[in-house]
Amino acid sequence: MLSDDICNVWQAQGSGPAPLTLEELRKRGDRFHSQIARRNLREYLVMALLIPYFGYFAWTSPLPLMRVGNGLMIAGLLYMTYQLHRRAAAADAPAEMAWNTCLAFHRAELERQRDALNSVWKWYLGPLVPGMATILAAGCIAAFPRSTVAGILVLVCGGAAAVGLWWMGRLNRRAAAGIQRQIDALDAL
Amino acid sequence: MEGKSQDDRYLEAAAEYGAALHRLASAYEADADKRRDLLQDVHLALWRSLASFDGRCSLRTWVYRVAHNAATSYVIRQKRSRASAWSSLDEVAAVADPAEGERAADQRHSVDRLLAWIQQLKPLDRQVMLSYLEGLDAAATAEITGISPGNVATKIHRIKNLLAQRFHQGGRNAE
Repeated sequence: MLSDDICNVWQAQGSGPAPLTLEELRKRGDRFHSQIARRNLREYLVMALLIPYFGYFAWTSPLPLMRVGNGLMIAGLLYMTYQLHRRAAAADAPAEMAWNTCLAFHRAELERQRDALNSVWKWYLGPLVPGMATILAAGCIAAFPRSTVAGILVLVCGGAAAVGLWWMGRLNRRAAAGIQRQIDALDAL
Repeated sequence: MEGKSQDDRYLEAAAEYGAALHRLASAYEADADKRRDLLQDVHLALWRSLASFDGRCSLRTWVYRVAHNAATSYVIRQKRSRASAWSSLDEVAAVADPAEGERAADQRHSVDRLLAWIQQLKPLDRQVMLSYLEGLDAAATAEITGISPGNVATKIHRIKNLLAQRFHQGGRNAE
């Protein structure tokens, strides 16, 4: 079989009708927007629950440092929500698929993933760290005078959280380096 | 294309390239259920994109770019942690074909073997391979993929050699 023949065999493969009617496409398009709206609503609802929670302690805690920590948590959550919203809005542009060549689109997709992994500390985990660290410090200050065991327990929990965050950051950096190698391979073409 | 609605453009594109989109989906996804979902995603992306069609390129280039980019986005999501499992044309050519000589004249079997190779290829090699199989010339393939025409010609040369090695040999054995 010659290569031209295999092209003919390939093109002779049967095909069914279009998988979706216009009505179904419209419904799916609407559903796509509904999913985005639902996801945004979910984020806002989580914030609507967490912000009063931290706000309550920021207002009522007898420890000034605890009040500061809870205030920092609120600021961090607001910043995180803004970044999530901004990045999600930038990702939805269907005509980009046609305006970009496959090479440019593939590179842009990989860049987006690499940057998301590299910057996750800046916009997703990082904004919560000052608040968490301050609350932890306030917890230690409050616990040690009453019970050494409770104070040590707070420190151990904080240390475990710090190690977990560091490990997540390390995994993200390694994944980002792997994606960068794919981008370099595309650039070499 | 002046004055046509998004729906009219989509119907025109689906009528002319529907079969090619069907084949394209089969080259990106082996599982039948997932392939059906991918094909629907490709059609949805095409319909949505055509709201912004401005004639800056031909409808054919537009359709193939949207389809390949939607499918590539899908395989990147599916294989995010296993991108190293993809192979280049050279790597695929270097691996012996276990089915060589067995029922190679059978067209369905030929297509199945071809699909098994294509599904291993890196996205850009896969796009060039599919463009060649769909009968697009090097200039059209270069416009769709963004690879230089010279590079496309080199890849097509390798594809032809690969197809000749695998299918011509198998065909002779089966005769």
